[in-house]
Amino acid sequence: MRSRRGTYLLGGLCLLGTNSCALFIPWLMKLAVEGLQFPHKAQHQPSHYALLIIAAALLQGIIRIFSRTTLLHAARRIEFQLREELYAKLLDLDLPFFSRERTGDILSRFSNDLTNVRMLMGFGVLNVINTAIIYLAAIFLMVRISPSLTACAIIPFPLMILGVKRLSASMFRRSKRAQEELARLSSHVEENVSAAAVVRAYCRETAQIEAFREFNSRYLESNMGMARLRGWMIPVIAATGAIGTLIVLILGGSRVIAGSLTLGDFVAFNGYLAMLIWPTVVLGWILNLMQRGAASMSRLNHVLEAVATVTEPAEPASVDRLQGEIEFRNLTFSYDQQTTPLLTDISLTIKPGKKVGIAGPVGSGKSSLVRLIPRLYPVADGQIFIDGIDVNRIPLARLRGAIGFVPQESFLFSRSIGDNIGYGKEEADPGEIAAAARLASFEEDVLRFPDGYGTLVGERGVTLSGGQKQRAAIARALLKNPSILILDDPLSAVDARTEEEILESMSGYYGDRTVLIVSHRLSALRECDLILVLEEGRVVEQGDHEGLLAMGGRYAATWHEQQLRAEIERL
Amino acid sequence: MHYGGIYEDEIVGKAYDRRLMGRFLGYLRPYRLLVVVTLLLLPPMAAARLAQPYLLKLAIDNHIVKAQMEGLPLLAGWFLLLILAESIFTYAEVWLLQYVGQKVMFDLRLALFSHVQRMPAAFFDRTPTGSLVTRLTSDVEVLGEMFAAGIITIVGDIMVLVGIIGIMLWMNLKLSLVTFSVLPLLVWVAFTFRRRMREAFRQVRARLANLNAFLAESIGGMAVVQLFNRQAREQEEFTRLNASYRDANLPVISWDAALYALVETLSSVAVGIIVWYGGGEILQGALTFGALVAFIQYIEKFFSPIRDLSAKYSIMQGAMAALERIFNLLDREHGESLGSTRGEGASLLPPPLMGGGEGGRPVERIEFRDVWFAYSGDDYVLKGFDLTIRRGETVALVGETGGGKTTVTRLLSRLYEVERGSIAFDGTDIRELPLTALRSRIGVVLQDPYLFTGSIEFNISLGDDQARSRAEEAAHIVGADRFIRHLPNGYGEEVRERGVNLSAGERQLISFARAVAFDPEILVLDEATASVDTASERLIQEGLRGLMEGRTSLVVAHRLSTIQDADRIVVIHRGEKMEEGTHQELLAKRGLYYRLYQLQFKD
Repeated sequence: MRSRRGTYLLGGLCLLGTNSCALFIPWLMKLAVEGLQFPHKAQHQPSHYALLIIAAALLQGIIRIFSRTTLLHAARRIEFQLREELYAKLLDLDLPFFSRERTGDILSRFSNDLTNVRMLMGFGVLNVINTAIIYLAAIFLMVRISPSLTACAIIPFPLMILGVKRLSASMFRRSKRAQEELARLSSHVEENVSAAAVVRAYCRETAQIEAFREFNSRYLESNMGMARLRGWMIPVIAATGAIGTLIVLILGGSRVIAGSLTLGDFVAFNGYLAMLIWPTVVLGWILNLMQRGAASMSRLNHVLEAVATVTEPAEPASVDRLQGEIEFRNLTFSYDQQTTPLLTDISLTIKPGKKVGIAGPVGSGKSSLVRLIPRLYPVADGQIFIDGIDVNRIPLARLRGAIGFVPQESFLFSRSIGDNIGYGKEEADPGEIAAAARLASFEEDVLRFPDGYGTLVGERGVTLSGGQKQRAAIARALLKNPSILILDDPLSAVDARTEEEILESMSGYYGDRTVLIVSHRLSALRECDLILVLEEGRVVEQGDHEGLLAMGGRYAATWHEQQLRAEIERL
Repeated sequence: MHYGGIYEDEIVGKAYDRRLMGRFLGYLRPYRLLVVVTLLLLPPMAAARLAQPYLLKLAIDNHIVKAQMEGLPLLAGWFLLLILAESIFTYAEVWLLQYVGQKVMFDLRLALFSHVQRMPAAFFDRTPTGSLVTRLTSDVEVLGEMFAAGIITIVGDIMVLVGIIGIMLWMNLKLSLVTFSVLPLLVWVAFTFRRRMREAFRQVRARLANLNAFLAESIGGMAVVQLFNRQAREQEEFTRLNASYRDANLPVISWDAALYALVETLSSVAVGIIVWYGGGEILQGALTFGALVAFIQYIEKFFSPIRDLSAKYSIMQGAMAALERIFNLLDREHGESLGSTRGEGASLLPPPLMGGGEGGRPVERIEFRDVWFAYSGDDYVLKGFDLTIRRGETVALVGETGGGKTTVTRLLSRLYEVERGSIAFDGTDIRELPLTALRSRIGVVLQDPYLFTGSIEFNISLGDDQARSRAEEAAHIVGADRFIRHLPNGYGEEVRERGVNLSAGERQLISFARAVAFDPEILVLDEATASVDTASERLIQEGLRGLMEGRTSLVVAHRLSTIQDADRIVVIHRGEKMEEGTHQELLAKRGLYYRLYQLQFKD
């Protein structure tokens, strides 16, 4: 913001210029009226003053455009810069931050809070400078005409500033209350919509409408309070100006009659008084804007100053290409220190090129285990090693670049399918994208879409089925050509047989890559070199498929259950 | 590559649409008297405002110039009176406008909500919750703004403008005509501005929508962005969208600044013209000083309403778009077959209450005959399903997930409508029964025990008086009163955020108690699949027995105890009835049930 000092200075100078012209006009009128009243004493014709007034008006207008655009553009540029910084910060923050903060809350900082700061930096600054210049100059000129009349005429103004500030402060308070009522009303609607089935099943529609009417009334009530206040605003402003005129009319008028003031003075004085009204109104409003802007700035700082727990290594190891050996050394993990660990004391070495399956019930820690490898969540030093190097010492881009990760929820962007698949590689060519899609058994689906790989995903394009999204996410990971491929329950949305077929067609791609597959279907893991069975964050069984079956433990029991299920499906 | 194109075809329509406004005026009808009053207040308000410069003229001409102090205080008194009158009228006007505006918004929200209440369950599968909430909140809010700063204010402004022109012409025809020579320029400016502004606002809104959509998506997909090392590229794209939003705003600011400056300049130029021409007139004795001063004040008052034209324009534009969306929702049909719930258009009447008729006499036989149903297209979930349930029987539905069990229960309470075939109570098709009469016979316990914000007691009774009187008894029957009484506030304990302060088992017991409190003759129960700890399991089993006691029950079963207690078990597979019989009979068959039993019910 410091770099904008020059701009603000320029804007301030423009304001000085435009207001000087504006302040010149009543003075010219004074001279004109005096000239008209005593034509024989006049140095100039009235048309001379008229031309000067027009000239001043034109100059005032031209400079006014510059003053407003300079300052208001500057505010937009500051907003732009702040938004850039906020977004850059978000890109830097880790998943613990995003699971802590609600998306709606972050978005509201980007919209409401940023708007408040911009208003302060734009209209706020503009009006503060404007008000200061007009007040100083107009009062100075009014004092030149008559000090005592000035003192009387501006009596209502401090009262108006106070009045407007009070009014707008209590309007602000009430509007907060109204906002709260609105929030209650909208959560009632949300609840009603989510519970549509219950409401219908119990015939509660009428009661729901009654309850809504109640919320609606309370919101109406709080808005009516606002309306009563708002009703005061305009009359207060209008009356203050008019009362000033009234004072000038009586006191000023009687002085003109007494001869201590000219008619020109009287006219000019009225003109200056009128110039004071608007800046005074704005001043009361600005005082509140400043409070709000400060509060918003501190909410923005909450994001800007947030500290990521997953950070770049302080002393990065020099790594060239990672081969894909993964070692867990007494790995223990919990999302925050207080809760019981999700993973406890896991030790294991996976040689490069090995295929490892991970099984276990919901909540056993399967996903947490694979999420820690690319450091989506913070890992303690000395617990996970890749090619013998602590993951915390590998530069993040290098570490993540070596890993192809297919998350449980296959998130796709609202871009074309081709862009989604080629997401991990700068300027992936169409051939590569098609090859990856083919590997993930997704190509046939894509070619059936209206624009093939150019088809947009999401509301404005095609809505992909769960299985299609998952295959797109797989293709995206494969295209990266990673040393380590992690599939976190990648095909939960397709049936068991399709899952096996897709995995089968991918097996040619594996080569010397290290592959980790998490799946709740054991048939998907059958071909793995090693299968881990997790329970409550611990490895309870491990071995290959045959070995685990022979062991007759949990793995074997689950296997039989799933076989039975498959049998039923085939009926 | 540019990704931000998704919303760029957003339609930002006109600032005034006759069709929409015409329909909207209908909502003003109940307040037409007040609207007439606000309109009637406009002329005296304008008069009080416009008389002030004229009084100043009189003061200058009759007293100040003539050096006659006498009568000046009286004039000042009149002036004070006019100030008071203007203040009071303005206050009344603003307050009435807001009052009517708020009332209309209240009515619109209620109409929208009541309309949504009459929508069938299927409507909610297709409509995102967020968009319904937006219709009822933000969109209606925008209309409020239109009231605060829109239509009637514009009428008032026009009245003031016409008044000023009239007074000036009357005071001095020639001077007026000379002064008004700047007006064509003003009109031209206003029109050019309107055209430019419409386009500029469209750009600003579209680009802001793009920016926000990108941002929301970015936050949602942050893990993917980071896993694929795409921070730099995303930042680049964000910068592009951010800059394009900024760049769309800059011309708006410039145009607005230009309009502001032009109006201000024209007003000062007009003053110059008055001094130039009026000065000559004064010298010839054709004009008084007072008239000159009054002219200057009038011309200043003339220009001020034009200054915030751009703000008013964008408010009206937003309001028309909101009206369009609101009316679109209100025009959505309630669904063809739900004839009995359909109200009269936009009337606020709730669905009819318990339509009597066959009240009292219990249903002896519920019959599903060749029932077909698909949630979408030809994707049939039920294919020719048959089932007969006799009074007092407990029938358990068993089968794989997605086989159609839950659909059977939903069709019975007509949350969805049978497509082919029929469901009949003692031979009467349920589609011929009044919906409320049908549903009040049936108690539904959904798989997800939805809890509302409110006390435990409210969650059991759902605010129904009869159910409230039975709430504690109902809780006792299903065994929920034990834990409820241990809560700090007992039945008054507030349920927080859909029941986070209660365990899964406790939430289910509350939903059981809810069903019992309504004392239905027929119970439809979709057992939750989520596993609970042994203690809760025992609680739930006891609760279920209390719940089903003496009622005709149709249960989607996931519990061993439930199937063992059932009179009959029906196995559904891919939308068809495969097997039917008691637990023992079916086990002996060694068919589908036998396998399902091993899979789902045996430890």
